[in-house]
Parts: sequence; C-alpha cells; structure tokens
Amino acid sequence: MSEATVEQMSVEAIEKIGQGRKKILGEIRKVIIGQDRIVEDVVTSFFAGGHCLITGVPGLAKTLLISSLGRAMHLTFRRVQFTPDLMPADITGTEILEEDLATKKRELKFRPGPIFTNILLADEINRTPPKTQAALLEAMQEQQVTVSGRTYVLERPFFVLATQNPIEQEGTYPLPTVQQDRFMFHLLIDYLPKDEELEVVNQTTGAQIEDIQAVMTGQELLEYQDIVRQAPVAEPILRYAVRVGALSRPTNADAPEFVRTYVSWGASIRASHYLILGAKARAVLAGRPHVSVQDVQSVAYPVLRHRIVTNFRAESESIGSEEIIRRLLETASPPKSGL
Amino acid sequence: MGEPDTPNAADNAEVDLSAVLGRIQQARQAIVGELHKVIVGEDEPIDQVLAALLAGGHCMIQGPPGTAKTILIACLARVMDLEFKRIQFTPDLMPSDISGTEILEEDTSSGHRFIKFVQGPVFTNILMADEINRTPPKTQAALLEVMQEKQVTIGGKTNPLPRPHYVLATQITLEQEGTYPLPEAQQDRFMISVAMDYLTEDEEVDVIRQSTSIGQAELQKVIGADDLMEFTRAVRLVKLPEVLGRYIVDLVAASRPTVPGHPPFVAEYVAWGAGLRASQNIAFIAKATAAMRGRDTVTAEDIRKAIVPVLRHRIGLSFRAEVDRVTVEEIIRRLVEAVPEPAAA
Repeated sequence: MSEATVEQMSVEAIEKIGQGRKKILGEIRKVIIGQDRIVEDVVTSFFAGGHCLITGVPGLAKTLLISSLGRAMHLTFRRVQFTPDLMPADITGTEILEEDLATKKRELKFRPGPIFTNILLADEINRTPPKTQAALLEAMQEQQVTVSGRTYVLERPFFVLATQNPIEQEGTYPLPTVQQDRFMFHLLIDYLPKDEELEVVNQTTGAQIEDIQAVMTGQELLEYQDIVRQAPVAEPILRYAVRVGALSRPTNADAPEFVRTYVSWGASIRASHYLILGAKARAVLAGRPHVSVQDVQSVAYPVLRHRIVTNFRAESESIGSEEIIRRLLETASPPKSGL
Repeated sequence: MGEPDTPNAADNAEVDLSAVLGRIQQARQAIVGELHKVIVGEDEPIDQVLAALLAGGHCMIQGPPGTAKTILIACLARVMDLEFKRIQFTPDLMPSDISGTEILEEDTSSGHRFIKFVQGPVFTNILMADEINRTPPKTQAALLEVMQEKQVTIGGKTNPLPRPHYVLATQITLEQEGTYPLPEAQQDRFMISVAMDYLTEDEEVDVIRQSTSIGQAELQKVIGADDLMEFTRAVRLVKLPEVLGRYIVDLVAASRPTVPGHPPFVAEYVAWGAGLRASQNIAFIAKATAAMRGRDTVTAEDIRKAIVPVLRHRIGLSFRAEVDRVTVEEIIRRLVEAVPEPAAA
C-alpha cells in the first residue's frame, strides 16, 4: 500500500466510522443484552461487506439482533425459515404470466423472491436440501439472480446471516465445507450468563419497550465499506495472515506437526482474504488507521473456524478447530516490530 | 424476543393496575364458568391456555385423539367476542391457503385488470390450527412466520393482521405415519404447550351423559378484543421480585446439559435444554397466573405452575430417557425438586 493511499485515509473518515459504530451499538444495546462478542463480530462483518454463519441453539435473539441492525441502518430485512421442502424459487423468485393492459399481450413477469432485500436472515439453513442451499449461496456470491436467462442484480448493501442449529438431528443437510467457505465469519452463539438472562427476562416481560432509531443509511454503509478497504496493511502483517492460512494446510511442506496429525482439510485462499479484510474493519471501527497483528488474531477464530476441518484422530482426542487455530497463531510467528 | 405481542412505548400510559387486575380475576372466573357448561374437568389446561392468552402468547395443545382439544379452543372462541377461524392442516395445504393469495381481478365497468390480495384465514383474532403436524414443513413455516411477525408480506406489500392475534394449534401426540413433527426451533414460537389427557371415568360419565342428551349449552360472550389488549398490557406490569426472577433463570439453566452446574439426571436424560425464550415465557405465564388471582406480584408457586407448560416442548430427551421411559414431565418435576427456591435477600 503506497504512502499516497495512507494520506487519503483521512482522519475524519475514520472518526466518522467510529461514531457510526458507536451509534449503531447504542441502538442495538437498547434491545440486545450481552452477547458482546457476537454483536461486535456481526457489526465488523457488516463494515467489511461479508456474510455470517451463526451456529447456536434456538431462542438466543439471533433474529432480533439482525433485524435491529437492519432498523438501525434503515435497511430492508427479510427472514426465510429453511425447510426440507423449500425450493430455489422460494428464495430467488419466480416468473408469472401477466397481461399488459394496453396491448393485451401476455408476458412473463419476474416476481422477486425474499432474497431481494438488504439483509436476509436464512434461518436453519441446514434444514433444506443441497440444491436450495446452493441457490442461496450462488446469489450471495454473485450478488445477482438469473432466472430463465435474465439477470437481476441484488440491491446493495447485501448481507446474509445464516443460522445453523447445532442439535444433531435426522433430516438435516450439513453445509458442505466448500459452501461454508462463502461466509466470511462463522460465529458461535451460546446461552447468556445467568445475570444477563435475568436482565433479559426483566426487560422483555416488563412494560417499557425501547424503539430502535435509524442512525445510518445503507449508502453510508457502502461508503464506509470503501474506507475499510482503503486501510493500509504493513507487509509483515499481510505475510503473517497469509502464513496462518498456508500453515493450516496439511499438504503444505512447511505445515507444523499438529496440522499434519489433526487436520484433514486446511483453509482456502479466502481465509487470508477475510483475515485481512476483517482485520481492516476491526482497525477502522476501533478508530485506528493501521491494521495491527491483534486485529488479525482477533478475527482469526471466526474466519478460520469453518475453514479448517479436523480429522477423526482430532475428534478422538477432542481437539477442535479452535485449538488448531490457537496453535497456528503461535506457530506462524507474529511480526513483533512496529505495530 | 420481539414476541409476544410487544406494546409500544405509548401504550404504557398510567393504568389503575389494581382495578384492571380485579377485572382480570372476574373475567377468568366468568370464562371458566362458561367453559364448564360444555367441558368437564380439565381445569389445569383451561387455566394454562387463559394465562397464555392474557400474556399475549400462542398455544400448542397436545394430546391423544378425542381429548376435547378442539372443543376447548372452539368454546374459548365462543366466550370471547373475537373473530375466530379454523384451518384443518392437511398434507396438501399450501402456504397461500393460510396467508392469502393474489388474484387477477377485472373491473367490470372499465375492463381494467388488476391484482388483488385476498386475505387468507390467518386474518382473524383467534386462528385454530388443527393438527398442525399433518402439513409439510414449508406450510408450517408460513404459519409460524405470520404468528411471529403479525403481518403478511405479499408482492412487496405488508398486510398487518388484526389485533389481538392468537394461534391455538393442536397436535396429536400419537406417533403416526404421514405427520411432520415441528422442529424445536418452530415449537419454541409457542409460548406454552398444554397437555390434554384422557378424563377420569367419573368425568367421562358426565361427558357422555351430556353429549348424548338433547340441546347444546348456550355460551355467553364474556370479554372482547379491547379488554384482552388492556389485560395483556396490565400483565406486563405485574411485579416479578428479583429473587424469583433468579429462581426462573436457575430452573431453566439447570435443564441445559451443556451448562455446568446442572443436576446429574439432566446429563443422563436431556439431549438439549430450554433456551432463553423459556425463561421469558415462564415470567409471562407466572405474571398472568398472578393476575388471574388478582395479585400484582408473582409468587414462587406461580413459577412452579408456569414451568410445566413452558418447558414441556422445549426440552429434548436423550435416547437413554426413552429406554428408561422417562418423560419430559418427570424431568421437569425433578428440576423443581433439584433447584432450591432462593431465599429473599
């Protein structure tokens, strides 16, 4: 990154983003209690322009979180409950026959599906068969939908938050690793600590209900996403991020012993892409113009969690991908100088 | 957590709570009196359903065939001055059969054609969703979505449902072919799950005597939509003392096998425990239960009453529980035993 770009990252722009983040968190905090880490990560992915996959049991206010974010940013929000009989057209849209009043000519008209929105909550995505999952993921990737040869561009910003229920069940279709790779972050959501759960009970069953105000627009969010991308990253940090991803691949000649023993599938190139993009968003949201090693490390878990597949040996010794990520971050020897 | 029926900040105007609580108590007595003209026994299920209605929540009613599930709901609708519709869920029911559909209509005078939205049966105050598990998942999801959002969005236009809006669903508990059990995330949308069981022999004798004689009981309308909306707001104002709030959270957290500190039988018999909505809904039902007795403060007994219908559909049993024939009710009973009621500070 050249010095000229660094100069363009005006202090004002960063300040503006910092304020935007504060306002949004302020609105969210009116209705969401606790879950600091999840809120922070979801906001980070918003500013980085990536999609999120959340794994957690039902009833932890995932819908409320995401719809509140939508309201705070004045964005349209749709929720789709994924079911075994959901079809691709139920997501993308379908064509219907319509008659033109003036000419009396009949023609096919496209009725856009729920994916034509700014924020889509894909609830329990693993309940739907692979073809329907693929339809969603394709649209996510390409930011457009093609129906009978015609292409319809999705609105921007476009953000998908997909949820998975961790309860193992018959009749679910786990997302293949390749499909999971489309999500920037994989977040884990757990029960609240008892004190916070009590606070939720008191707040939601009492009289006062807080209203969320729109404090940002979609247009502003798009501008902020551009600013995030302009944040400079020093060469050693860039190399560190790439190295973390590369070392996770058991086929890599440099891969450490624990990776070769426990990992069956390492992270793709998207991992280092999102490590850097996520780190940029974190730095800018924290009001810093430079990306630090800590920024990379703090997004490493949500970025790598779903991209590193551990093998049977790891399972029998109860070593999860979290443990692998922790060791990787150490092994890749973070740069010490400067930042 | 948007549900149940969240009032606007503007609705929180000063109310004379004790006067409204008095009316709630009277209304409950009157409703129970009317229902008993037709329904024999079943006092507990009746109170549980009433509590859910007062708390603004949806109900699931389960039980074997012929246990007056449908009659209970139909009679409730008759004693309340509310619009009532019924959908029999079948394997071929489509989402648009519930929420409504757009049709092409022609203006006969001008010859203009236009698309018109025809409201489905969900546009009512009380919707009885009979045998909800007979319909495929997409149709179930359509119902649960409108339940949650209280509106139907079609062709980019949002059509709000009339308020209050309740879904009272029935589910046959017998394992049968051709049924689609509701996934637990979907069941979680129902505030409570009420279990209706076979009557005692004496009660059955009463039923048969009544049902084989001439004439149907006349039921009086006791409350209307406005009363119910007002009652729902008042229920939120019932006080939940700090220690009892903690009692709720302790009880619910003890049902989670993944959370440290649960009793040993939970690790053995529970596959997944109750979520956050369980805690919220126990508080709601306990508040409504207090209100029905004319009290403005929840007691520990209200909570122990609320826990059974709220947790029944929110705890998943392990394979081991099935082998040992341990039921959810048994787990809930043991939870109440295992979790001490906190002493007032």
